[in-house]
Amino acid sequence: MHEVDELVGEALAEIQSASSTSSLKEVRSKFVGDKGSIASLRKQVGAQPPERRKEFGMAVNDAFKRVEAAIEARNEELKAGEQASQFESERIDVTMPSYPQRAGLVHILQQTTDKIKRVLGGMGFEYLEGPELELFRYNFDALNYPPDHPAMDDQDTFYIDDERLLRTQCTALQGRVFEIAKPPLRCFTVGRTFRNEAVDRTHAHTFHQVDCFMVDEGISMAHLKGTLGVFARAMFGPEVQIRFRPDFFPFVEPGVDYAISSPKLFSSRWVELGGAGLIHPNILERYGIDAERYSGFAFGLGVERIPMMAYGVDDLRLFLENDLRFLEQFRHEPVFDEGREFHERLAGLSDRRTEPMQDRVEARTR
Amino acid sequence: MKFPRSMLLDYVQTDLDAQALGDLLTMAGFELEGIEEVEGEPVLDIKVMSNRGDGLSVFGLSREVLAKDPEAKPTELYRQASNYFRHVAFSPGPDVVSVETEDCTRYAAALFDFHGGQTPGWMAKRLTQAGMRPISLLVDVTNYAMLEIGQPLHAFDRDRLAEGRIVVRQARPGETLTTLNGEEHQLRPDQMMICDAARPVAVAGVMGGEDSEVSPATTHVLLESAHFVNTSVRRTRKQLNLNTEASYRFERSVDRELVVAGLARTVALLEEILGTRLDPRLSVYRGQESPSRSVGLRVSKASMLLGMEISPEQARTYLERLGFAVSGEGDQLEVELPTWRYDIQREEDLAEELGRVHGFEKIPERLPEGTTTLGGSRGVFLQRDWILEGLVRLGYTQIVSHSLRNEHPLDPRTPRVAPRTPASPEYAILRNSLLPSLVDAFRRNGARDLHLFEIGRVFDPDEKTHLGVLASGAEYPPRRKTDAVPEADFFSLKGALEAALGRVGVALDLAAPKRADDRFHPTRQAQFLVGGSVAGVLGQIHPDVARDLSIPPGTVLAELDLDAALASAGSELHLRALSRHPSVRRDISILADKSMPYRQLERSVVEAAGPFLERHWLFDVYEGKGLPEGKHALGIALQLRKPDSTFTDEEANQVRESVVAALAELGATTR
Repeated sequence: MHEVDELVGEALAEIQSASSTSSLKEVRSKFVGDKGSIASLRKQVGAQPPERRKEFGMAVNDAFKRVEAAIEARNEELKAGEQASQFESERIDVTMPSYPQRAGLVHILQQTTDKIKRVLGGMGFEYLEGPELELFRYNFDALNYPPDHPAMDDQDTFYIDDERLLRTQCTALQGRVFEIAKPPLRCFTVGRTFRNEAVDRTHAHTFHQVDCFMVDEGISMAHLKGTLGVFARAMFGPEVQIRFRPDFFPFVEPGVDYAISSPKLFSSRWVELGGAGLIHPNILERYGIDAERYSGFAFGLGVERIPMMAYGVDDLRLFLENDLRFLEQFRHEPVFDEGREFHERLAGLSDRRTEPMQDRVEARTR
Repeated sequence: MKFPRSMLLDYVQTDLDAQALGDLLTMAGFELEGIEEVEGEPVLDIKVMSNRGDGLSVFGLSREVLAKDPEAKPTELYRQASNYFRHVAFSPGPDVVSVETEDCTRYAAALFDFHGGQTPGWMAKRLTQAGMRPISLLVDVTNYAMLEIGQPLHAFDRDRLAEGRIVVRQARPGETLTTLNGEEHQLRPDQMMICDAARPVAVAGVMGGEDSEVSPATTHVLLESAHFVNTSVRRTRKQLNLNTEASYRFERSVDRELVVAGLARTVALLEEILGTRLDPRLSVYRGQESPSRSVGLRVSKASMLLGMEISPEQARTYLERLGFAVSGEGDQLEVELPTWRYDIQREEDLAEELGRVHGFEKIPERLPEGTTTLGGSRGVFLQRDWILEGLVRLGYTQIVSHSLRNEHPLDPRTPRVAPRTPASPEYAILRNSLLPSLVDAFRRNGARDLHLFEIGRVFDPDEKTHLGVLASGAEYPPRRKTDAVPEADFFSLKGALEAALGRVGVALDLAAPKRADDRFHPTRQAQFLVGGSVAGVLGQIHPDVARDLSIPPGTVLAELDLDAALASAGSELHLRALSRHPSVRRDISILADKSMPYRQLERSVVEAAGPFLERHWLFDVYEGKGLPEGKHALGIALQLRKPDSTFTDEEANQVRESVVAALAELGATTR
């Protein structure tokens, strides 16, 4: 047995002094590998006298286990150390700049359009489009403009010929819709309009408009104001208020100019946003809609006005110049905080879970 | 319309300051554009709606102030104006007026002698404050009276009128007139003129003539006050390119009953200034009297439309304050319209009047109830949004550019559309392609390493919605460790379009054109085919065009008619069950003529491989050394899989052999 103990002692010493997992591997094959010295002892079991055979065999097996266990333990030690130094050598500086990706970008006018579509679409208004190269009769006649009226001077028009023009207002869609659809209906469009005006920071010959209208039984100026309120608060924040003042557009009666005000945006000044009113009954009647039974509202506003007011863009010309230094600043869309607490509570994210939900419901219906 | 606050105070007794008056008028629909301090006094600038000609005077705006503010009281002058200054007496004069055109609906002339006089300082000051230039007493008084009550007036030197009389008629062919501003006009028969017995002396409702105007030597005055059809004045002043305070008012309609009142107010002012009686004689053409008009009003209906409750008593009060005569009981009122309210036609107009006086700011917010459509985008509008989003996901930047532009080398040869009168030469014509603006945007942003697209309307000459794409240079920004960044080319752009259009089930069908488009590299361009007809183009820019435009010659461009492409959009989505069995791959290497379109080989591969071809792709293209001239070697991979059993080697080899045989029929041999 002495020789077995001797070999085990030798093996344990070499295991302990192995300095790497690879040298440990060599130690392993030297002692317990197929041709290792302890392994070769097994072959000697049969050569032992019968009375020693069992004892010898057990001693060899025991030696095997001890050496294997020692190798395993030492391997764990060495591996941890080696991995640690490998990780150290692979260390990166996470504050170094990223590899920039080629990220696509949605133009700010499109972002605004998408937002308008979400809000008005959510209120049941269907998105439609009409032509930019419009017929005189849809742009003016269909909208109750008296022939040769100074109201047309409010919009310097690009005429193509006697019948065609570049539409001066997206309201031109109304007649096209009424020709083929009957109430109840709710529609809106976002599109390009043209006016032959001198170009400066706040005037352009090409700009974009939202035009939204609905016709149903009993539609009133209050419904107009309510819809505009939801719309304006979605675009400009929850504190926004709406103000109407009388104005004249041939296609609405009563007609108003609407302004918005918010303590956050324009230091509480009233800022005019667009024209609105109840669709002129002459227009409804022109398209065979019973104006006694049905009424409708319409409102319009400039698309560019929205980012101009929300982000303080001060030059209308920037929108169609495609300077990426401008466009790339609109990489993320600010989200108004309204509803966040509510949403977090629903998702179980808020600590204030235990507060009664009732508070919020009451606050909303007051 | 500009006027000093003090002028309003002549008509209204009120404590409101200029700002408060402006705000009040704004809430009545007459928007305050600004307050300016002129000669030590606030001057209000009020924007008057184009259907409210009656608001183009201090008197008219006073009426609005009195209607909105119950605290304000009318002055004696206001009462006189409301009574059309009937207290000013005229003696009947000789009949010096004849009207020979329907476009003149009333004409009055006052004749009096004049022995000179100076415009008083207060009047000159107020005219200056209102933005008018003081000229001479007679001219200034007519302007002042117009400012006060809204009636345009004109003073003629009667001695310079042939036979001292007035004929209102259409111009005769060949007649000319030199107006007060020194311009000579060739007149047309559709233009209404004020004439003397011989020739035109003024453009009716627009501007007087040079020859007949009053001068320091004038002793006999013929003072004109008239009413003209608004569209006639508008047409003439547009044709003659004249824009005056008078024409501005006539176009927006002036109260016909002001015709004689205008003369009366002018005479009263002159007598006050000169301190003498003028003893004016009056000659009037009254025209056809128009019947009084009335409109029925249901107060409940008006309340419904306004979305706020207005009582019959309130309705009556509001309308009477505005000068309407109201009769009837309870909800159903009969409202007689004042002569100056040409804009009121029907019940809804009266509802607006109630709202104006009651205050639109009192309307509550309510949301519509009842049935609604499914909101948002549907159909092609939704599909366009998906394509747009698809391109953004692929790393393309959206641009939005002008529809109006100048001509460009990348314009296709189509008929064009242009406005008659362009804003400027840079914006003179409607685009017939999106490519020029894409190149403009590319250049504006450095002309390298960009992927841009636009979706917008073009006019060729019909209006269409196009998708335009430009890609040039590095596919992604370079990294610190210099690896070669692949560059955009024909196939990378083709892939982007396949992916974006694939989102709406449009399969791209590209073919080399029969005749090359000279905007593109002649052998690196393709046409988009939809249902056999050409719907667009994709290609590398022609090197000469690239040089002329100073952009890299490797730039690739595509333009597609989206309306046409979407007509082929897939409307259904078919899913395949997933097989549990492994796939096998077989590769084929062939030698093919370079002139043989890959699409043709591909069709043959798909057909020959049969139903178990799950996927196939071109994994290698080699040409050059070791290959015969005009040939290239292609490596095509086949991936085969069965739904319910495993493909054996033998089966896979059989498929491969069928494909090889089919390709051989096209002259492509295995290597």
